[in-house]
Amino acid sequence: MASHRHSDPPSDPALRVKALESLLTEKKLLEPAALDALIELFETKIGPRNGAKVVARAWTDPTYKKRLLSDATAAIAELGYSGMQGEDMVVVENTPAVHNLLVCTLCSCYPWPVLGLPPVWYKAAPYRSRAVIEPRAVLKEFGLELPESIEIRIWDSTAELRYMVLPERPAGTEDLKEDALAKLVTRDAMIGTAKVAGPSR
Amino acid sequence: MPVLTKDMVASLVATGGSARVNEAVTPKFKKGDTVKTRNPNPTGHTRLPRYVRGKVGVIQSDHGVFVFPDASAHGKGPAPQHLYTVRFTAREVFGPEAGAKDAIFADLWDAYLDPA
Repeated sequence: MASHRHSDPPSDPALRVKALESLLTEKKLLEPAALDALIELFETKIGPRNGAKVVARAWTDPTYKKRLLSDATAAIAELGYSGMQGEDMVVVENTPAVHNLLVCTLCSCYPWPVLGLPPVWYKAAPYRSRAVIEPRAVLKEFGLELPESIEIRIWDSTAELRYMVLPERPAGTEDLKEDALAKLVTRDAMIGTAKVAGPSR
Repeated sequence: MPVLTKDMVASLVATGGSARVNEAVTPKFKKGDTVKTRNPNPTGHTRLPRYVRGKVGVIQSDHGVFVFPDASAHGKGPAPQHLYTVRFTAREVFGPEAGAKDAIFADLWDAYLDPA
């Protein structure tokens, strides 16, 4: 029997997903097309490009930046991003003296409307446990070395507030327009595990 | 519970569901107050991480009234109360090896906090 297998069984996560989908459909909680619509939304519409546009707007419009730092939920909604896992947003600003780093030590809370779904490492125990106790060592592994003179602020999203980092605008970008600036902004820079690099020459 | 249909998805995702509660609840603390976190060891759900239990911090901001998950997760209703961001120095939490300037911010409900 074993030597006559026509195909390998699906992986454990795939089987689990299929089982959940069947159950939700049979219990009439979900129409399968709704699941496809959800997946499509998070594959094509909701991701870190949204957050990058928020950052670029804040870099180019000081009054927008002020609104973003005082009422992030409303300011982000101005650009059309809102909802699930971003109902109550807080944006924290990096400066030459302060570097912010986001973590969810309890689980995997993450600001979906602006950053999409979290990367695997963000949800994994090593990042979640080490970001709070040895942030400099963790950042070094991401390629970011910060001197002791920089104040690191670690935001542990233990409640329903969702955070996003407003990174520093890199030098040499004075002539760039909002669209070009947004292209420089990375997901990791909005989590705080990276800085935004200037344009490559 | 209504069945989730394809047509509902976009607006559901764009709206979400805030845990904010529109109810007047008197806050126990205000910005700048020094607080000490309690040291409960519940068998059920809590959002008070173990590493910040029994630590002294300062109220950084008051976000208003939110559902209290320690109660709602057990079907005991929303138990609405103020939610604060509390700033702890990294040294208060992790001792002298931690960065002198570094700080940890956690979002904590009234029920986790005592005056210090």
